[in-house]
Amino acid sequence: MLTSQPLSLYSFPRAIVHIDGDAFFASCEQARNPSYKGKPLITGKERGIASSLSYEAKAMGVKRGMRLSEIKKLCPQIIILPSDYETYCLLSKRLFEIVRRYTNEVEEYSIDECFADLTGLRRPLRMNYTMMAERIQKDLAIELGFTFSVGLGPNKIIAKIGSKWKKPAGLTVIPAREIHLYLEKLPVEKVWGIGPQTTAYLNKNKVFTALDYARKNEEWIKKRLTRPFLEIWKELNGHFVLPLETKEKEDYASIQKVKTFTPPSRDPVYVFSQLSKNVENACMKARRYKLEAMRLYFFLKTQDFNYRGAEIKLSRSSAFPNEIIRIIRPLFHEVFDPALEYRATGVCLFKLKPQSSLQLDLFGEVLAVEKFRKIFESVDVIRNKYGKHTVCLGSSLLANKSSQHLNERGDLSERSKFLLPGETKRKRLGIPMFLGEVI
Amino acid sequence: MEKHSRAIVDFYRNTKRMPSYQEIMKLTGFKSKNAVFKLINKLVSAGLIEKDSTGKIAPKRIFGEIKILGVVEAGFPSPAEEELLDTMSLDEYLISNKEATFILQVSGNSMIDAGIMPKDLVLVERTNEAKPGDIVIAEVDGKWTMKYLRQKGNQMYLEPANKKYTPIYPKEELKISAVVKAVIRKY
Repeated sequence: MLTSQPLSLYSFPRAIVHIDGDAFFASCEQARNPSYKGKPLITGKERGIASSLSYEAKAMGVKRGMRLSEIKKLCPQIIILPSDYETYCLLSKRLFEIVRRYTNEVEEYSIDECFADLTGLRRPLRMNYTMMAERIQKDLAIELGFTFSVGLGPNKIIAKIGSKWKKPAGLTVIPAREIHLYLEKLPVEKVWGIGPQTTAYLNKNKVFTALDYARKNEEWIKKRLTRPFLEIWKELNGHFVLPLETKEKEDYASIQKVKTFTPPSRDPVYVFSQLSKNVENACMKARRYKLEAMRLYFFLKTQDFNYRGAEIKLSRSSAFPNEIIRIIRPLFHEVFDPALEYRATGVCLFKLKPQSSLQLDLFGEVLAVEKFRKIFESVDVIRNKYGKHTVCLGSSLLANKSSQHLNERGDLSERSKFLLPGETKRKRLGIPMFLGEVI
Repeated sequence: MEKHSRAIVDFYRNTKRMPSYQEIMKLTGFKSKNAVFKLINKLVSAGLIEKDSTGKIAPKRIFGEIKILGVVEAGFPSPAEEELLDTMSLDEYLISNKEATFILQVSGNSMIDAGIMPKDLVLVERTNEAKPGDIVIAEVDGKWTMKYLRQKGNQMYLEPANKKYTPIYPKEELKISAVVKAVIRKY
């Protein structure tokens, strides 16, 4: 088959854009402080690893997830900042709001990227799809102060290929009839949704590029792969299959709370208090969404990055930390090895279901649950008003009393170091600030 | 038409959404969607509602309409209500483009003759449309600076509002990030 043959005869049966922040967190920092511009910079100091890196840092060979000590060796002049999620969230919301000026069909895919459906807007906005994408990109760059890469295609998969095609500040327009020109240059594992397992399998079957994949016939795909891969195949062929999820996330499949602490510890009481704090926070989040867990697992992470943990099945769903901690405690002592040093604990609540309506039982359990519910309703009110750690279980006290990190990783983000007149630690002005020196 | 538009307005008041064509048929007693279509076109040209790209209708001057109907039906509207409609929050008053607005805390007194003091908070809007005469936030040697933007011939420069400071003439490109829209000082 000729590779020059298009996969589709149309241009934009649907017009989907994918908008992706260029080094989003690092860019948020560079945009508000001019002394950081053009310099290698990473965020993630509090985690001990690079979570976002500026393009200048990438050019120096720094990679995501690298440890700070390694990075400092590689690039001694690097600027290392603690993450300021408060600001990143404010700017993330602005990203979505700016895109919503053009269309209501926006999927907030993650903190720094979104999809938007522009189909049918050519006449009302009096411009073609490319112009719309350019306008959105320009608005974002001017109003937020840093760049985004944009892909325009007939569906989500193609739009995402477009936004990754040229970065930073790229705009790649892929009409359906030109898809093949891009796919022939794209290794199949770069397609969104195709993981290493599938790639290995496809490679064995002589499918190396995304175009090889798209050129297979439907029967071939159906026989060998599962449904999501058929959907990907259809989208690569220019069809619109994957809908945009424009509703805000209301339910969670699972709730996970993990926290690292430094220095690492061998003290079972201290490590347990860290775990207990995570359990309390996970339960609080579950109660906020009116959910209860049927199952959970907890884990301890050792200094050499090994995980040990246990899974627990509850006899009745719960979002009360005191109940859960009572069940975890004996298992914790089985898992905990005093010969090892620990650096993090975590808990994951899953099999979540809506808060149950109570049924009378033989053992008076209902009364106990009702009592807990009242107690934790009050706890939630107090915590919402005065801060997360104002009321806690005795078992979490040790973790709440000490700072999470006793070395430089305990550094606060610049914005959280000061309060404007009238601000409190829990309540700040919802407008991001320009930082750095003002002359 | 007035009777029909009133029915639509009432529907909007009760349900907080505009009715579909089907629902308008019920409200008006029309027998066909074509009649509804014609009614909608009339209301659109009267400026009461508007149509989006999919042909669905959205309210436009519908609240104005409610007020007039209020006069007809229920005598004088309460003056308090009238005034409520015309107030804005302090946020709206100070901020015009919410997504582009940032805060900067002033330090130094180079703008003191413009009434901007150290520690004041200024609301600034990121834009690439700064005009001479605006107070702007510019980037100079990796620092923020707030000055008047001035123009002499083709040359743009930054002028402080304090005689003790000298104007800044950019050697290369003048990097203007934002325009000052308001000053906040809390006592």
